[in-house]
Amino acid sequence: MITNRRKHIVVAMTLIAPFVFIFALVFLYPTLKMVELSFTNAPLIGSGEWVGLDNYRRLFNDNLFYTSLKNNGYFVLLTVVPTTVIALAIALAVNRLAGSMQALVLAVFFLPYILPVSVVTQIWAWMLDFQFGILQPLIEWVTGKPVAVFNHPSWVMPAVASITIWWTNGFNVLLFIAGLRNISPDLYEAAALDGASRRQLFMKITWPLLWPVTALVLTLQLILQLKLFDQVYLLSGGGPFNSSYVLLMMVYREAFQLNHGGYASAVAVILFVLIMIVSVLQFQLLRIGGRK
Amino acid sequence: MKLLKSMILATATFASAGSAMAQTEVVWWDFFVGGDGQRMKALIGQFNDEHPDIQINATSSEWGVPFYTRVRTAAAVGQGPDIMSYHLSRVPLALSEGILTPITDSDLEQAGLARDDFFPRSIEAASNDEGTLYAVPFDIHSIVLYYNKSYLEGSDYLDEAGNLVGIESLDDLNAALALAQDNGSQTPLSYQTSGPGGIWRIFHTLLSQQGGTLIENGEVLPGDNLDKATRAIAIMQDWGDKNYQPEHAEYEASVALFTSGRSAFFINGVWEVPTLVDMEAAGTLGFEWGAVAVPTLLEEDAIWADSHAFAVPIQGNKEMAPEKREAVMTVIGWMEKHVLDWAAAGHIPAYLPVAESEAFTQMEPNATYASLADKAVYDARSDIAGVASPVYDAALNVIAPAIHGFLEPEQAAEHMRQELQALLN
Amino acid sequence: MLLVITLTAAAIWIFPLYWAFVTSIRDESHVVSSDAGLLPDMLNLTAYSDALFNSNLLTWYVNSIGTSIIITVTVLITGMMCAYALSQMRFPGRRALYAVVLASFMIPTQALVVTQFVLMNDLGLVNTWAGIILPQLIVPVVIIVYKQFFDAVPKEMREAVLLDGGGEYTLLFKVYLPLNWGITTALAIITFIMAWNQFFWPFLVTTSENMMTIPVGITQVRDTFGVNYARVMAVALLGAAPVAIAYLIFQKKVTEAVMISSGVKG
Repeated sequence: MITNRRKHIVVAMTLIAPFVFIFALVFLYPTLKMVELSFTNAPLIGSGEWVGLDNYRRLFNDNLFYTSLKNNGYFVLLTVVPTTVIALAIALAVNRLAGSMQALVLAVFFLPYILPVSVVTQIWAWMLDFQFGILQPLIEWVTGKPVAVFNHPSWVMPAVASITIWWTNGFNVLLFIAGLRNISPDLYEAAALDGASRRQLFMKITWPLLWPVTALVLTLQLILQLKLFDQVYLLSGGGPFNSSYVLLMMVYREAFQLNHGGYASAVAVILFVLIMIVSVLQFQLLRIGGRK
Repeated sequence: MKLLKSMILATATFASAGSAMAQTEVVWWDFFVGGDGQRMKALIGQFNDEHPDIQINATSSEWGVPFYTRVRTAAAVGQGPDIMSYHLSRVPLALSEGILTPITDSDLEQAGLARDDFFPRSIEAASNDEGTLYAVPFDIHSIVLYYNKSYLEGSDYLDEAGNLVGIESLDDLNAALALAQDNGSQTPLSYQTSGPGGIWRIFHTLLSQQGGTLIENGEVLPGDNLDKATRAIAIMQDWGDKNYQPEHAEYEASVALFTSGRSAFFINGVWEVPTLVDMEAAGTLGFEWGAVAVPTLLEEDAIWADSHAFAVPIQGNKEMAPEKREAVMTVIGWMEKHVLDWAAAGHIPAYLPVAESEAFTQMEPNATYASLADKAVYDARSDIAGVASPVYDAALNVIAPAIHGFLEPEQAAEHMRQELQALLN
Repeated sequence: MLLVITLTAAAIWIFPLYWAFVTSIRDESHVVSSDAGLLPDMLNLTAYSDALFNSNLLTWYVNSIGTSIIITVTVLITGMMCAYALSQMRFPGRRALYAVVLASFMIPTQALVVTQFVLMNDLGLVNTWAGIILPQLIVPVVIIVYKQFFDAVPKEMREAVLLDGGGEYTLLFKVYLPLNWGITTALAIITFIMAWNQFFWPFLVTTSENMMTIPVGITQVRDTFGVNYARVMAVALLGAAPVAIAYLIFQKKVTEAVMISSGVKG
């Protein structure tokens, strides 16, 4: 029996070994290494000297850090709740269509999600091109003159946010549709017999029963949008005068352009901790909100 | 026995490589595109034809940050090229990154070159503080003022031969721009207003023409240099306010504005000369043009300048094989001796035997702006300066918004000072 | 009324893709001319042939397909093995491992790029397929979903096989896996799309053009000569085409895959 038990454990170990090995190699080790590097002045490639908390001290005196932090926050505001609301609205609309019409409309809303980010940014850079962009006449109609969207300090973040919503929204739509399909039609029928209005149906049945999905969408979006880099890098490079500079951009630039591996690691540690705290906090908050 | 061995080897190589002989492959990375790119490709093709034993395998990527970021990382991890184009303005930055290998005297000898073959200033810019050489200078290039004669006809700005005259101050230039605007030039002064290169070159010229410098003894814009930088930005902003310069013009757009006849003046590198020569020859230009050294608009003679050079990056923690290095030096030597073809792209050769040859001194239109070599002001020798450096980033990130009116000149200069100073500390 | 609004919204939503397509089949000079309308008015495929034959697009396809397939297969196999052990076996550290898997759901991998890059350099894997692949092999959601489904398999089946003398590997590959082919397909679709669209990491770890994947490579296609919007759009659409077409064919499957993998549909 003892040998059986031991054999059982050995087999279990061989089953988990590949994952655990890869996890340790590309996840655990880099995490520990990141913390270690953040206390040194190492370049990207090569070793450095221990400098204690210098990098962190410098970071908390670095204006660019606060600018980036602010921009990350601003971007989250611009995307997380809007994309959730838009996705819910689209899901409710699509859900009332039937058959192949529903499939078609759903495909339209989902398609952008499967595009690589660089395809998305190239299409939108062209749509919004200062000279030839198809949307410039529209912008001119509203503001009176064409706007170089990605060079304009107050347009750049909302523009990147809108493009991000266009790109990733389809995923959220699907989640909401799945959530809607899980709600039993019997509930609506019963409520309708009681003479409930459309609004009441939504507020009393749809919204509460959809809350777990809403919470999931909010959580996933928050984590995703805090990790903003690709769209900003490809569309505005962080400018103008850092109006779209974000933390991950700072990590990239310090490490790969300025060759400050140690300092970049310090920024990365802060970003890492920040995302962990925010997601745990939000997870807890939403759970409490859901119980009520 | 040895003969037999080499015969077998030769047969084997022959069998495996088809008709090619045993070749040393030299991996070459450059940032030459457009007109420069065509001329460099032609030179590389010619080299490959003349050297059956060496094959240059060239890749071009986008100028500036994309090229230099990739080169830096690739060289550090041993995935870089064997030879690459490099800007001398960036050598101090490269030295701080430790990605270049020293060019020894015996390397130069292998290439058939010597230090005395180059302008002393170029050699100095290609060396570290102790005088060790890290790059082989190829050219000196600067910006010139291109003009479209059709907007100036009948004015005092053209002499009888049709050459641009009478622009001796900022007021003169602004008056000429106003005149051209009245004559229907949409944006009379075109330059790249939405990219680090175009903005930096003009800003640095205007700063230097006031006797200002960006970095002195580890201080960014110390003393009244801050005011001078402010003035330089204000001048550029003023051109924007008066609609003299295009808004948010990317590089291609800035060239197109001039070649399509919409801009009367155009400030850009000498490297666009071939574009205009070619278009004129093909009859697609539609106007007569000229180019002069950028006039002294402010107090002192000064024009931004930089140099292309060849450099041999480190190969991670490995050494390049001696045969490979010899081949690389052969390539460099050959290129220097054929720099006249490159000069047709508007550049001044750094290699004196060609720069002083009759063939070059009589080459047009280079001869008309030959004087710019005397006024050349290079970027500050600093590891935050040079192409694709934080200084260039600041040109795009801070000066570009300022000249479009999103920042006051004072704010922009101060912002730039703080951002760059933080990197030096 | 609602239908009209929905369809209008859908039309607006698809417009960028439509416009990219219209641009890509136009002549470069027509693209920027002021009399070009909103409708496709010519069929000029130069931009496409240019994109396919005058760039490294085909190489990037190979890199993208190769790395994405290897990532998908590896992630699924290691994931299902780990999930099986977590679900069906008892061993020390089991709870801790599952907690780690759940937590790594929230860990921002992007923050690790600096040290992952350093690691890849130490292993000599910068600018190789292995370098592109390795850091993408951790997809915790695969384990979580597999575990849920394995948990639901009736215990009787397991005991029957064990009595017949079958081992755990037999159980996993002969019983649990075939019972859950639907899940495997769904997870494969999701993992493949994720790997195919990955930008940041391949962008950092590839240093030469011939190792780039599609999302990274298409940002490199830029000529300094003249306008070439048609070509840029053609390259973008070609880069997006394989997965987009696959999606349109297997739409139902993909929709299901997203729902299953995010846990909103069991």
